[in-house]
Amino acid sequence: MKNATAFQEKTLTQIDTKWRFVHWRSAILYLLPSMILFSVFLFYPLGKTLYLSFFLTDQQGVANVFVGWENYQYILQAESFHKSIKATLLFVLYTVPTGILISLFLALLANEKLKGVGFFRTIYSSTMGVSVAASAVVWLFIFHPSMGILNQLIASVGGTSIDWLLHPDWALVSVAVTTIWMNIGFSFLIILGGLQNVDEHLYESAKISGAGYFYQLRRITIPMLSPTLFFVVTVSLINAFQTFGQVDILTQGGPSESTNLIVYSIYREAFVNYQFGTASAQSIFLFLCILIVTILQFKFGERKVHYQ
Amino acid sequence: MRVFRPIITYVLLIITAIIVFFPLVYAFFISFMSGSELLQGKFIPESFHLDNYKKAFERLPLAHYLWNSFFISTVVMLGQLLVSALAAFAFVFIPFKGRNIVFFIFISTMMIPWEATMIPNFITIQQLDWINSYQGLTIPFFAIAFGTFLLRQHFLTIPKELKEASDIAGLRSFKFFWKVVIPYSRTSFVTLGAYGFLTTWNMYLWPLLVTNNDDVRPVQIGLKQLQTQEMATDWGVVMAGVIIVIIPTLILLFLGQKQLQKGLAQGALK
Amino acid sequence: MKKFLLILLTICFAMLITACSNDADGQEVDEESNESEETNETTETEEETTEEASDEKVEAVFWHAMSGGGQESIEAIVDNFNQSQNDYTIIPEFQGSYEEALTKYRSVGGTEDAPAIIQTFEVGTKYMIDSGFIEPVQSFIDEEGYDVSQLEENILNYYTVDDQLYSMPFNSSTPVMLYNKDAFKEAGLDPENPPQTFTEIKEAAEKLTVKDGDNTERYGFSLLNYGWFIEELIATQGGHFVNNDNGRSEAATEAVFNGEEGLRIFELMDEMNKAGTYGNFGSNWDDIRAAFQTENTAMYLDSSAGVASTIENAPFEVGVAYIPYSEEAERNGVIIGGASLWMSNGIDPEKQQAAWEFMKFLQSAESQAKWHIDTGYFAINPSAYEEDIVKERWKEFPQLKVTVDQLQETKPSYATQGALISVFPEARQQVVTAMENVLQGTDPKEALDKAAEETNRVIEQANRANQ
Repeated sequence: MKNATAFQEKTLTQIDTKWRFVHWRSAILYLLPSMILFSVFLFYPLGKTLYLSFFLTDQQGVANVFVGWENYQYILQAESFHKSIKATLLFVLYTVPTGILISLFLALLANEKLKGVGFFRTIYSSTMGVSVAASAVVWLFIFHPSMGILNQLIASVGGTSIDWLLHPDWALVSVAVTTIWMNIGFSFLIILGGLQNVDEHLYESAKISGAGYFYQLRRITIPMLSPTLFFVVTVSLINAFQTFGQVDILTQGGPSESTNLIVYSIYREAFVNYQFGTASAQSIFLFLCILIVTILQFKFGERKVHYQ
Repeated sequence: MRVFRPIITYVLLIITAIIVFFPLVYAFFISFMSGSELLQGKFIPESFHLDNYKKAFERLPLAHYLWNSFFISTVVMLGQLLVSALAAFAFVFIPFKGRNIVFFIFISTMMIPWEATMIPNFITIQQLDWINSYQGLTIPFFAIAFGTFLLRQHFLTIPKELKEASDIAGLRSFKFFWKVVIPYSRTSFVTLGAYGFLTTWNMYLWPLLVTNNDDVRPVQIGLKQLQTQEMATDWGVVMAGVIIVIIPTLILLFLGQKQLQKGLAQGALK
Repeated sequence: MKKFLLILLTICFAMLITACSNDADGQEVDEESNESEETNETTETEEETTEEASDEKVEAVFWHAMSGGGQESIEAIVDNFNQSQNDYTIIPEFQGSYEEALTKYRSVGGTEDAPAIIQTFEVGTKYMIDSGFIEPVQSFIDEEGYDVSQLEENILNYYTVDDQLYSMPFNSSTPVMLYNKDAFKEAGLDPENPPQTFTEIKEAAEKLTVKDGDNTERYGFSLLNYGWFIEELIATQGGHFVNNDNGRSEAATEAVFNGEEGLRIFELMDEMNKAGTYGNFGSNWDDIRAAFQTENTAMYLDSSAGVASTIENAPFEVGVAYIPYSEEAERNGVIIGGASLWMSNGIDPEKQQAAWEFMKFLQSAESQAKWHIDTGYFAINPSAYEEDIVKERWKEFPQLKVTVDQLQETKPSYATQGALISVFPEARQQVVTAMENVLQGTDPKEALDKAAEETNRVIEQANRANQ
């Protein structure tokens, strides 16, 4: 082994250029499938979207009037787009922290060494197997103003029924609840996996020194779990920014545009109103937002993450 | 304290499980109800008859849709595994120049919202003449940054010595990839596979756009077809559709849950 | 436990599939003629048709947006057509909502891949005409001397632009007001004499509203948050939606729905909402119907296509009335809603011929009678109302006739002909937002003006892009 490394080091400089070429060639071979697919189905369309964002399109969707920054200027001053941004940010705020806290709580519960806990794990992770279309339809009925179970429960205890999907303030909450429910399965599975990777010895020594449950949670579990949590936060954030199906089925962006999340707004602008120009400008805006958030998160979030 | 803790945990476990599972149970019950039972706001149906299921199957070729979904999801799963594994291998074992930049570009693709690229993609698919074909529903999804990322994280845990040993043994890098890396990372492959299968099974908007007839249409579109716009929706039938759609994925999830949880966790760790 | 669950699920699922497919097969043998059979065989039909292609049958694809019961009925009618002659085969294909179907059509329009027939909603009319992808059905009518006078005039009016009938009307509906007769009796109102004007509506709604503390058990009146109803309520007062005679004499350049007619409606909504007699049940058709059927609202506007099932399901007696108008205006009647069938150009002339033959078949009294009964949409061909099945149906539900009367009493004018705008879907959205804003307390004038302003912007942009 030693000889081999020594040999490698010696020759490395001599045939450095040759190796570089070999590495390049094989790297490209391995990366080629991904690169082709990304180029065709992601980068090219993204470029096309960028291009379209500077045009007005006619009824066939052909970009035929160059308008420069007009589409951007318009969306940045349009009230409905402001509403859309506000709704998206609120939505992220409602869903990401709550969803992760709930999943963490469930994972902690399901990580206890008790009989039959596997059954509960199955239940908690089940929502991952339910498609967006299916879960939104189910929740649509749960929120139903007159036949839905929620308002019936409220009525049976004598309360005033709530306009779940009909009141601008409640509608976003309702969509958020649906989303949190849908995402629980995935977040739960990841966090549970993370919990099981935490070194048992840490807890044992903590127990010996007489630390309580919450002390252990704060000082051992959370720090050791931080890489997992970081991952979950990243994925949840990106998902929350890209929410579409639930909105389409539950509220179609209403009432009063209160649930017109940005991706839905893009969809509506492009496929209902045929304004590819403004839709593209919104897409680019969304892309930049997600990019910035992710970079910020990696920059600041990652410092606090504790790696094993 | 010692005695109470398990009891409290069990109580919490049961309550939360009921809440989490409730929507599915509710959908299950509704799928057996008639229109008037629904209007009366019942929770438990009068009888468990299969009328709504029959209607759902009569209205649409659901069995055919289920097969399409199954086939598409399997193909996408395999495609993703292959493409992502190749890319992840390059990122871990081939020290080429600019590796970090390329990796960053890969990861950044996770941030491109799919809807933002949908219009041009739709036109591409059409020009390729892939409308109404399995290709149009599968190939665009083969490359997935999340998969590359997940596998890369796992490949990083493969001891460097293994690679060195194989270099010395004169194994070509592809052989090393095939004989050593893949068997070593079985868990993450299962994880990514299950993840890919589930997400593909759940696709909704894209299949709607690129299919014009029943030939290759997946089952999620069937759910949409059971609902109506201007005329009255038959909720019982719709819920029967929901149950039909989710059962295969639930089964898969129960089967692969352990693997999935392990593998996803590894992906999350650096 | 997990294993047990798993096995249980698998078994259930397996049983379900086998049970259902068996049942379906069994029925096909029993039922000779129609619907359920067709839907089960959609895929088979396609296979068959490819085989039969060698027999020189011309295949024409028909894109539609009917789901649920409408899909069943449409496929049954297509099946009848395919069996009625030996030259053509129509292949029905579901394309999602009208919007989604149109999106796809935009990309294939004008090419060989375009479907021979596409069903498009009424607000897409202007877009289709301008697209250049379609062949006006008028050219076939002229060529053959087909007599369109047998068809319902008020429906034809909508799709006739510059004296040309562009598309063949198909599923057509109009709004009507449904009310709970039992609640009327209970509130001391005459169930045979429903309110006709805005003021009468307001007064009746006050009597019909039932409160229990803070909780409103029953609202007097409700509207679905859907632009179509506002369009109709403006038209019935003789008002226009956009300028240049509703865009019929020249391309519209400006929205005028914020004029006095529109404002009256919004003010009515606002006043009733503030008085607590107006129930808001959102923008989903099913929700408002459920609210009516569970007696959460006593009066509401619905599409004529939804009337029959509402009457059937409601546990009380349902009345059907004309939509209300303002006492400051006259009653003009209603605009036709729904969708029509368009023929593509740039495709094989034989396919066009197939499409045309199918359209004619659809207009037959027999097909229309079936369609009317299955779906509640109007019969385009009034002689369908003479068919026995329709008569029987009307005997069962005499209220259905009101919908037809209202349409036939409509005074033809630019107002009731309906607006033509290429950006109609967006205009509708703006109106819905305005409705929702008013219900949240925004001033009616302000809400309407804002919607008009936004609509003007998109009209202007569309005109710029399409020069």
